[in-house]
Amino acid sequence: MTGSEISVMVVDDHPIWRDGVARDLTERGFRISATTGDAVSALRISRTVHPDVVLMDLNLGDTSGVEATRQITQEIPGTRVLVLSASGEHADVLEAVKAGASGYLVKSASVDELVDAVRRTAVGDAVFTAGLAGLVLGEYRRMAVTPGDSDPEPPRLTDRETDVLRQVAKGLTARQIANKLVISHRTVENHVQSTLRKLQLHNRVELARYAIEHGLDQEGEASSE
Amino acid sequence: MGSTGNDSTDGLRDRTRWSRMWRTLTTTGGSEQATPPHGNTPDEQAEPVPDGRIPLWRAHNGLRVLALIYAFTWFCVLLPEYRSPVGASVIMAAMVCWTTYTIWRYSKPSGRTRTLVLVDQAVTMTLFGLCYFVLTEHQMDQGLPTVVTIWHASMVTVAAVRFGIPGGFASGAVAAAANFAMRGYIDANMWMDTVLHLAIGLLLGLASETAEHSTRRLARALRTEAATAERERLARDIHDSVLQVLARVRRRGGELGGEAAELAALAGEQETALRNLISTGPAERGETSTDLAARLRVLAGTRVNVSVPATEVTLPAETVSALFSVTREAVQNVEDHTGPETHTWVLLEDLGSEIVLSIRDNGPGIPDGRLEEAAAAGRMGVAQSIRGRVESLGGSIALDTSVGEGTEWEIRLTRADGRENDHAHSGERAREKH
Repeated sequence: MTGSEISVMVVDDHPIWRDGVARDLTERGFRISATTGDAVSALRISRTVHPDVVLMDLNLGDTSGVEATRQITQEIPGTRVLVLSASGEHADVLEAVKAGASGYLVKSASVDELVDAVRRTAVGDAVFTAGLAGLVLGEYRRMAVTPGDSDPEPPRLTDRETDVLRQVAKGLTARQIANKLVISHRTVENHVQSTLRKLQLHNRVELARYAIEHGLDQEGEASSE
Repeated sequence: MGSTGNDSTDGLRDRTRWSRMWRTLTTTGGSEQATPPHGNTPDEQAEPVPDGRIPLWRAHNGLRVLALIYAFTWFCVLLPEYRSPVGASVIMAAMVCWTTYTIWRYSKPSGRTRTLVLVDQAVTMTLFGLCYFVLTEHQMDQGLPTVVTIWHASMVTVAAVRFGIPGGFASGAVAAAANFAMRGYIDANMWMDTVLHLAIGLLLGLASETAEHSTRRLARALRTEAATAERERLARDIHDSVLQVLARVRRRGGELGGEAAELAALAGEQETALRNLISTGPAERGETSTDLAARLRVLAGTRVNVSVPATEVTLPAETVSALFSVTREAVQNVEDHTGPETHTWVLLEDLGSEIVLSIRDNGPGIPDGRLEEAAAAGRMGVAQSIRGRVESLGGSIALDTSVGEGTEWEIRLTRADGRENDHAHSGERAREKH
C-alpha cells in the first residue's frame, strides 16, 4: 500500500472494465473518488470532487471523451486527464491529447504500468506510449506540410525534441533515451512534456481563433468537429 | 443524460435518410431493383430495366403523346380526302388505343418488357402499312403525311431506350425502309426522314446505354458504402462488447497466474486477432494508391507495437504491399528467433518527400559479422531478403545492431510522386543526422 492517496475518477461506459480498473487501483492504495459511464456526468462530478487524475475512455456512449477532456482540463486546474483507451482509436487519442490530456495508455497495459502512469500523471508528467509519440510526431509534420488557411505559425519541434520523440516511438524508456543522447533523465521528461504543451497551446489558440472568426462568442464546443 | 452534440448520430440519420430516398426514388420512379441497403444482389445485370433510363422512358411516352396529337390534327384536316375515311378512322382509333396502352405499360418497370417493345414495333409497322390502303395515290405522290405521320418514329425511340444503340439503329433502319417501300420514290424529304430515323435511334440508344452504365456504377457505389457503414457498425459493437470482456479476462487472468494465466493468454490472442480484424478496412479494388499506416496497424499485437501518424500515408499500392510484407517478415523473424520477452516497435514517419520506416526490437541483437558469415555460407537469410526487396523498391536500408542492444532496421524510401515541392522538410532535414 502506498500512502500517496491520489484520488482517481474512472470514466468508462463498460461496467465490467470500469469496476475492474477501480478495484485494481483501490488495491494499490489509490482513492477512487467516482466512477461514471458518460462524459456529461464526468464533467459534472469532477467539478465537485476535483479528482487528481481522471482516467478517461474515449469511446463513450453519448458525447465524446475528447470534449469531456477539453472541458475538464480547462475548467479544473488541479485535475489531469489520462486517456485509457483501446489501441484502435488513433485519431481520437491525438485529439484528446491536443485537447489537454496528459497522456495515453492502452487498455492492454498491465496493472503495474497503469499504476505507474497514474502516479506520473498525478505529479504532472506526460505519459507517452510509443504509439502516442508516433501520432504526435505525425501531427507536427502534418502541421508543417499543410500550414492551413489561418495558421501563420504552426508550432515546430526542436531537433532535440524530435530525436527524443522518435526514440519514445521506437519503444525506448526515458532512461535508455537519456543514456543514448547523453542527457539527464529529467531533461528527457521535459522534452516530452514540452512537445505536448506546445501542441495543446496551439490547439487552444486555434479553437479560440475559430470561435472568434465564426462568431461563436462562447461554448464553441457544441459544433467543434 | 442530455445529448446535444451527437453529430455522429445525425450523420448516420442523414445517411439512412438518403438511402431511403434513393430506394423510394427507384421503386416509385421506375424499378423493382430497389438497391438493398446491405446489398446482396451481386449481379445487377440480371435486372432488365435499370433505373437511369426512367427519364428516357418518360421522354418516350411524352413524345408519343405529342406525335399522336400531331397525327390527329392532320387526320382532321385530311379526313374528307382520304380514299377510305373509315379505314383512316380505324387506324386513328387503333393509334389512340395503342398509345394509351403502351404509356400505361411503359410507365411501370414491369411493363417495359422485351416482348412488349417488339410487339410495339410490329403494331406500329402494321398501322403504318395500313395507311397504304387509306391514302389516295395523289396524296402519296404529293408527299402528304400518312395517318400515322411522325407517330411512326416512336417505335424507334422505344427500341432505342429499351435495346440501346443496336435496337435504335435497327428500328430506325426498318422504319426508314418501310417509308421508302410505301412511297415508292425517293426525294429530299424522304432522305431527311431516313436520316432523322437513324439519328434518333443512334442518339437515344447512346443515351440509354450511358444511363444504364451510370446506374450500375451508382448502385455499386451505394452498395460499397452500405457495406462499409455496416462494417463500421459491427466494429463498434465488437469493440464495445467482446473486446472489453476479453481485455479484462486477459488482464485479471494474467495476474492470477497458473491455469488462469494460460486462459488469459488465449483470451489475449483472440483479443488481438479480433482488433486487427475490425481495424482492417474492406478491400478496395482498383485502387492505385493505399494507406500504408492502416496496413501496418494490423501488425500490432501483444509483443508488437505500431506507431503511425493519425493521417494517411498514401503510397502506390505495390509499394505499400512490398513494405508491408517486408515489415511483417522482420517482425516475424524477431518472434521466431528471440524469447517471449522480446518486444518489437514499428515506427512509420512521413517526411513528405520521404518515408521512414523503423523496425526495432529489444532482443539479444546480432553479433558483428554474423550476417556476413551467413551470406558467405550461402544462407541468404531474412536480412538479405529484406535488404533485396527494399533496394528493388529504390529505397535504402540501414541495420543498427550490437549484442545486448537489440536490432533496428531503418528503411528510407523517396516518394516517386511530385511531392518534393513540400516546403516542410527543410526544417525536418536538419535533424536527420540522427
